Amino acid sequence: MIIINKEDGMRNIIKLYVFIYMCIAVMVFTGCGGEGKDETPKPAAEKHRERARPVFERRPLPDGIKWLTNDADPVFSSEKAKKGGLFRTAIMSFPLTFRFVGPDSNGSFRSAILNNHLGLIGIHPNTENIIPEMATHWAFGDDKKTMYFKLNPNAVWSDGTPVTAGDFAYTLDFMRSKYIVAPWYNDYYTKEIDKVIVYDDHTLAVVATKAQPDLHMKVGLNPIPRHAFEPLTGDFVKEYNWKIIPNTGPYQISDFKKGKYVKFKRKENWWAKDLRYFKHRFNVDTVVFNVVRDYNMLWEHFKKGKVDIFNVTMPKYWHVKSNMPLVDSGYVKKIWFFNDTQQSASGMWLNQDRAIFMDKHVRYAFAHAMNIEKVIEKVLRNDYFRLEHGFMGYGKYSNTTIRARRFDLEKVEQYMKKAGWQRGADGIWTKGKARFSVEVTYSSSEHTPRLVVLKEEAKKAGVELKLQKLDPSATFKKFLEKKHDVAWMGWSTSLRPQYWEHFHSANAHKPQTNNITNTDDPEMDELIDAFRDSLEEDERIDLSRKIQKKIHEIGMFVPTFMVPYVRQAYWRWWMLPDVPGTKMSGDLFSPFSSATGGLFWYDHDVKLETEKAMKEKKTFPGKPIIDKTYKIKE
Amino acid sequence: MITINPLTIKKIRRFQSIKRGYYSLLVFSILILISLFAEMLVNKRALVVRYEGDYYFPTYAEMIPGTTFGYDYKYETNYRDLAVRFSEETGGNWLLMPPVPYGAFETDLKEDRYPPFPPSFSEKHYLGTDTVGRDMVARLVYGFRIAVFFSLILLMVNYTIGISIGSAMGYLGGRFDLFFQRVIEIWTNIPFLYVIIIISSIVVPDFIMLILIMAFFGWMGMTWTIRTVTYKEKAREYTLAAKALGASNTRIIFRHIIPNTISVIVTFAPFAVSGGIVALTSLDYLGFGLPPPTPSWGELLYQGWSNMGAWWIAGSVIAAMIVTLTTVTFIGEAVREAFDPKMYSTYE
Repeated sequence: MIIINKEDGMRNIIKLYVFIYMCIAVMVFTGCGGEGKDETPKPAAEKHRERARPVFERRPLPDGIKWLTNDADPVFSSEKAKKGGLFRTAIMSFPLTFRFVGPDSNGSFRSAILNNHLGLIGIHPNTENIIPEMATHWAFGDDKKTMYFKLNPNAVWSDGTPVTAGDFAYTLDFMRSKYIVAPWYNDYYTKEIDKVIVYDDHTLAVVATKAQPDLHMKVGLNPIPRHAFEPLTGDFVKEYNWKIIPNTGPYQISDFKKGKYVKFKRKENWWAKDLRYFKHRFNVDTVVFNVVRDYNMLWEHFKKGKVDIFNVTMPKYWHVKSNMPLVDSGYVKKIWFFNDTQQSASGMWLNQDRAIFMDKHVRYAFAHAMNIEKVIEKVLRNDYFRLEHGFMGYGKYSNTTIRARRFDLEKVEQYMKKAGWQRGADGIWTKGKARFSVEVTYSSSEHTPRLVVLKEEAKKAGVELKLQKLDPSATFKKFLEKKHDVAWMGWSTSLRPQYWEHFHSANAHKPQTNNITNTDDPEMDELIDAFRDSLEEDERIDLSRKIQKKIHEIGMFVPTFMVPYVRQAYWRWWMLPDVPGTKMSGDLFSPFSSATGGLFWYDHDVKLETEKAMKEKKTFPGKPIIDKTYKIKE
Repeated sequence: MITINPLTIKKIRRFQSIKRGYYSLLVFSILILISLFAEMLVNKRALVVRYEGDYYFPTYAEMIPGTTFGYDYKYETNYRDLAVRFSEETGGNWLLMPPVPYGAFETDLKEDRYPPFPPSFSEKHYLGTDTVGRDMVARLVYGFRIAVFFSLILLMVNYTIGISIGSAMGYLGGRFDLFFQRVIEIWTNIPFLYVIIIISSIVVPDFIMLILIMAFFGWMGMTWTIRTVTYKEKAREYTLAAKALGASNTRIIFRHIIPNTISVIVTFAPFAVSGGIVALTSLDYLGFGLPPPTPSWGELLYQGWSNMGAWWIAGSVIAAMIVTLTTVTFIGEAVREAFDPKMYSTYE
């Protein structure tokens, strides 16, 4: 059940938690998509309407609509980009289907297909403002649940058919159909999206079922080509398994051989190629995904030049394996790019139902007794960074003034004395019969070296840590049952911070909730309730920051590490913009992603130059590139 | 009490004459003896400190904070630092460190270098460090002590239960025997390694608990042998005589029968010891043994396996295991030979 993603070993544990978390907790928070997570059956009343006439309503547009657009945010592509070239990358296994819904479709290859289906609107990766995709203009209804869109009249499907408002209405029909065998989507598009209203071929409104903040993240639908699917039948799953569906993005599958490769070709006259935020992007003519089933083999392929890029985020690759002549002589470049996306809240969660942690001063002292900096410096090769609080990288929702409590023996002393404790004969704090000795429960043996160092350092501060390594599911169960002293774990991220499940008293003192610290604070409850009820962005941002401050004040969470970057190696003829990525980039060589992808390009002259140099044994400067443009400020 | 009768003396002589086993016993006993005083030999605490006219003996004492020796910190004194300081000063202060000045839990981390560190005589890491920077010698020595005493205690628990039940089965016979035979047959079929793995993935067992869990599944081994031997001894005249004199069953079993089966028990013991060491090591290797950071050979073996480049980790732990297990096996072989009754009935 644990999906090992070798590309990024350091985040595996976080991914594991992401997975567990998703399974158990996040079902109530839709929006992040993905089928199979929630098998709630759709309402029985749902009739299939496959053969029916288009179900959208046509009405006159209401008055007083204020159309908005965005043509002022900075562009993030490079004018120097040239079109052309062949980009070879790899997948570990051949996809089981090209469908993006239905059985077996939730594999890693789906993103390559879905990224070539644009939505109504996008999010600017640096400013987080709304930017146009299929829609040129948009407007918010007063009811906080309706959004109006004007479609780009040039938008066409890859088969030349124009995209119309009806295709968006069809999205609901399609996603609600039982023939696609996708219960999660059936449910989501029934419970979250109420309807699509078509005013004319290029004007529509999408209505959510309830008023909510960040409405645009929910109603920015993708169109689905009615003409490609109609009529839907029970054979859908089989019939469309390997069908190439018309899309609206920059590339389309042109060729594939099952088990071997998938080839995408750039559309010569793509309708969106001159739009402000798409210009100078998606430059490569052909993108090939070759199947390479072994990661070590992939590394060899890369060194031979059969694959153009390689992910070297893992310390073993960055520090050891990639220290090779190819890099030293500059034929292959290495880049360390810091991004600024949501960081997992990983660290030590103190159970406040334990007598020892009921005292705020003791919690503070505990935080000051954890020498996280030493672990980062001496064990993690400075590859990890100190997490200052649990919600870093959430843009404006993050309170950047909070600093995690640093290792400080004097402060430990101060707080412990305030709480009435004394040092025992063995140097550990005691109070009456109590001894400052707590159990730290964790699940990955990879983390043992870190905890061993923490333990030794904590002893200096008079705190004894007893390490308890359990199997992952036993660990998680123990946390959810609130039977731990200190939980060593990280939570998954979501688009906006989630507070209620972790810090609201409604979830305290009972098993099977995510409030594993048993936080029970009236002020906190007030803040969280206000945050959940508010529909005003500014107010929510303000409350979010206040909540983070409050978390820090209560001190039940000791933040540990974050990995706010990506590290990649690539052949020299691949070019990146001056600022090689965006705040949200998780991969600088993502070929299709409409938000952050397609920024790189191929330079044929440099390739010839490099090949010549390799023959003549000439070298180029070979220093790794470190880009800190978006590094979270310390 | 078992008095040393001429037969036993003969057996001991015989054992001594088997040189390989005899020397193995000497080596093994010395190793255990050394490990008992490991704190004097491998420790981060100094043996003796003379500071401002006073003597301190930190080895077995409570923690002495840095402030005692003029440092500004209140946690335990770093005696290696102190040694350097004393050698620079000229105040007549001095201290004596153990030959290996590192503790088993202490991580010795360096600037700009990352563990594991290779063996270095200048740093007194004679066998290098493990992947967290802990001294290999310290880990091995303390790991040895834990493994050996673990398996000795396990042996005693197993034998106490196994022998009592085994001889009761043999002596009482009948339904009691029949019942326990079936119980043991069923019990033996439980794959005990898996059970231990399951248990220790839910709760982390400590030393005593691990012994209890393993004894729970390990006591059956001796019962069969003892049962058979008891059957044999029960039919002998001396048992009948004791019975005729009115001795109780308990007295007959523990005073007469068991002393006469001692040779069987002793013969099996060394192999059980090596079995215990191997069991603990393999559990630790799999990550289901004693909780970290307990010094453990199994954990070192795992580190060595996943860091083949650091040859000193796998090298020293494998060497240590070979030495220990070979000596124990040699002892076992010699004991078996010395106690072999056939010895007296062969003719040249």
